[in-house]
Amino acid sequence: MNTLVHPASLNPFQQYRQACSLLRGTSRARLPAWYQNALELDFQIHIRHDGATDRAYFYNRSKDEWSEAPLISEATLSDDDAASAYALQILKHVRSLKGTSLGVVLHIADEFATAELNPDLDNPADLKDLRETAFNNPEEILDDSSVPADQASWRVLPYPAAGSDVIGTTISLSRRLEHFVAAIRKVGDEKNFPIITHTLSAPLVSMSGLHSVIRKDSGKPAVAILQYPWFTVIAFFNEHLDLRLVRTLQHRGTPRPLNFRHALSTTNASLEFLEPDFYVVPLAEKVDLKIPEDLKRTFPDSHVQTVSFPVPASVPEWAPEVILSLEPAPQETEPLSHTFGALRDEKWFLQDFLPPGKEEIELFPSRNEMRILRLFKLGRVALFAAAILCIGWFALSVYSMTSKVEWKFNPEDGKAVQQRLVKLTLERQRLDHWNSLLEDRSKAWTSMETLARLFPAESDILVKSFNHTVKPDNTRGQAKIAFVKEWMITGFVREDGLDYLNTMNSREGISKQFAEISKATGNLAFDPSPTTRTLVINVKTQENSSFRQMLAEDMVDSDESTYPYKFNLTITQRFESTDPFAAPAGKAP
Amino acid sequence: MYKQSIILFGIVLPLVVVIAVLAASAYFRSGITTSFAEKTQHYTGHERSRIAALEIEARVKGQREISEGWQETLSKQTTSLVTTNLREITEKLPPKEFQQTSFPEPLDQPSGFGGVSAQKSSGLKFRFRGTYRTVQRAFLELETRMPNLQLQELKIDPMTNSESSLLNFQVVYSAWEN
Repeated sequence: MNTLVHPASLNPFQQYRQACSLLRGTSRARLPAWYQNALELDFQIHIRHDGATDRAYFYNRSKDEWSEAPLISEATLSDDDAASAYALQILKHVRSLKGTSLGVVLHIADEFATAELNPDLDNPADLKDLRETAFNNPEEILDDSSVPADQASWRVLPYPAAGSDVIGTTISLSRRLEHFVAAIRKVGDEKNFPIITHTLSAPLVSMSGLHSVIRKDSGKPAVAILQYPWFTVIAFFNEHLDLRLVRTLQHRGTPRPLNFRHALSTTNASLEFLEPDFYVVPLAEKVDLKIPEDLKRTFPDSHVQTVSFPVPASVPEWAPEVILSLEPAPQETEPLSHTFGALRDEKWFLQDFLPPGKEEIELFPSRNEMRILRLFKLGRVALFAAAILCIGWFALSVYSMTSKVEWKFNPEDGKAVQQRLVKLTLERQRLDHWNSLLEDRSKAWTSMETLARLFPAESDILVKSFNHTVKPDNTRGQAKIAFVKEWMITGFVREDGLDYLNTMNSREGISKQFAEISKATGNLAFDPSPTTRTLVINVKTQENSSFRQMLAEDMVDSDESTYPYKFNLTITQRFESTDPFAAPAGKAP
Repeated sequence: MYKQSIILFGIVLPLVVVIAVLAASAYFRSGITTSFAEKTQHYTGHERSRIAALEIEARVKGQREISEGWQETLSKQTTSLVTTNLREITEKLPPKEFQQTSFPEPLDQPSGFGGVSAQKSSGLKFRFRGTYRTVQRAFLELETRMPNLQLQELKIDPMTNSESSLLNFQVVYSAWEN
């Protein structure tokens, strides 16, 4: 992988490319161990450095098994190349165990310093903020402003006991081993293998385990004396076993602090501790073993006990921090006190003194950023797949359309058909026009047939005149011409013929006659059934003035004087403009 | 520190690109769809026209030949055609039963249907004398030969001072012309 550049120096696209490169080229998105605490990982190396000896222990979390780790020396801690070589060595071991991550926990037991908090910071509720401030801007919380805050790593340790003069103290460790843990992490980055470091203050870790060695039912204050090769840490607990004070006394080349007894007495007095219980905890391979005896002499009414923490066989009694630092502490049963339990739960004893620097952390995307990067990668795949499907569907539908005959149809090709249709339509209109014009709407021979059928021979009727007219009606503006056909017939009639005329002289009577004529002649103009036609008959009769009475055998049909009556008959047939027989008003197209 | 760039280039930009591409594709498809709709409309119109033409063709095909014959008749001068036809008809009828008493006289101006229709027409008037049925047969023959004759008026009167069966006929026709 290319050399990483801090994202602040990159433009947004370069930042994105670098993040993608880390996503592709590293296991950061796949292995959560990159973003876990070293103490949570399955495989851990615990290195304890107390200035006199350097020991390393390997812990298999899944098996809860401790074993010897490759030997480590002062040179390894102080030389980057040696540190890298050591990291590679343990990495190989972890890989051989099919491990996917490694936690390197460094217990610093060769230095421990306290400094007073700024007395203005006396609100216990601000402790969480102070914890952050100690990490980022330690100078803001220190009482002594002359202390060069940037040369050490500072952390806060609260004093939760009620009645404490101060809410806590600061613990500092030098940054001497910072390069060591950085070199270890660098190997992890280079090998794309999560190696997470965690640097602990060994005395703090030891304090976290005191609940297992201090008597909880004595009702007296307790003083824990943690013996390290180069210093002694004294932790003071009140009668409720709440932490009141932590002091450190440097040995300055001697097995014990020179002012040990005096410091102990004055501090007890200042804390108003009467006959406290003393617990001496040897935490180095070689410590001053006479201290308990001295304490018994100095404080005859106090309980003095040398205690040790339970450890597995592979870990020496004087190096219990490696065990105590495990989360959760396997030997924990009941906390020393409620406040002490809170300190443990809030991990005040397990603060990382040499974490990766801000720039080193910012160099890599955070866990959430890696998650969203990975999520977005999947999202993009889904998005592009959906887009491709969509485009495919578009393409398919376009192909479907363009492959149809409709698409290939050239409107120019249709012009010939259109012209032909126009021509044929015109021809049809012309034919329809002429068909309509040539309809048998008024023919002489059918009119004569009408007369013959209306007045058959021997009907006692003598027809004298027949006048038939066909006249167009007022049809201005209409497409078809309505018209009226009229038959005017005059003649003479005898008594019997009158009945016949009367029978005919009604709409039903004349309609019946016309229906028969239509049927006989095949001329539908006589059909009375269409509603677009009306048929009216009017018969007028009057006496024949020239009538002469005579015997029937003397009567001649052609003799007008043998008919007692005259008649005048008018038949009117009206065709509306909507009638099929109405003539076209227009010209042939 | 990567969050904004990851969001920007990881999802926002691809989303914008995809939306742009889809929008362009949709726009392109919309154009094709519109074009296709137009072409379909043209094609459907063409098919409708083609089918309509076939239907009309089938319909007029049978009438065309007949129509052409009639058109030939209609294109001739009506009065002379009536005269010719009447002569031919008269020759087939008994002379005593059918006599043409006047030649067809063209009317001065179109009357009847001819007076109100824009279609060209002419009016003519003529008279006969004859028996009822013979004259009816003559009319039948004439009107069959010339369906363009539209009866406008028909008068039938008995002959005065005569006991014969002959009747006087006066007829007025409007004749459609091409």
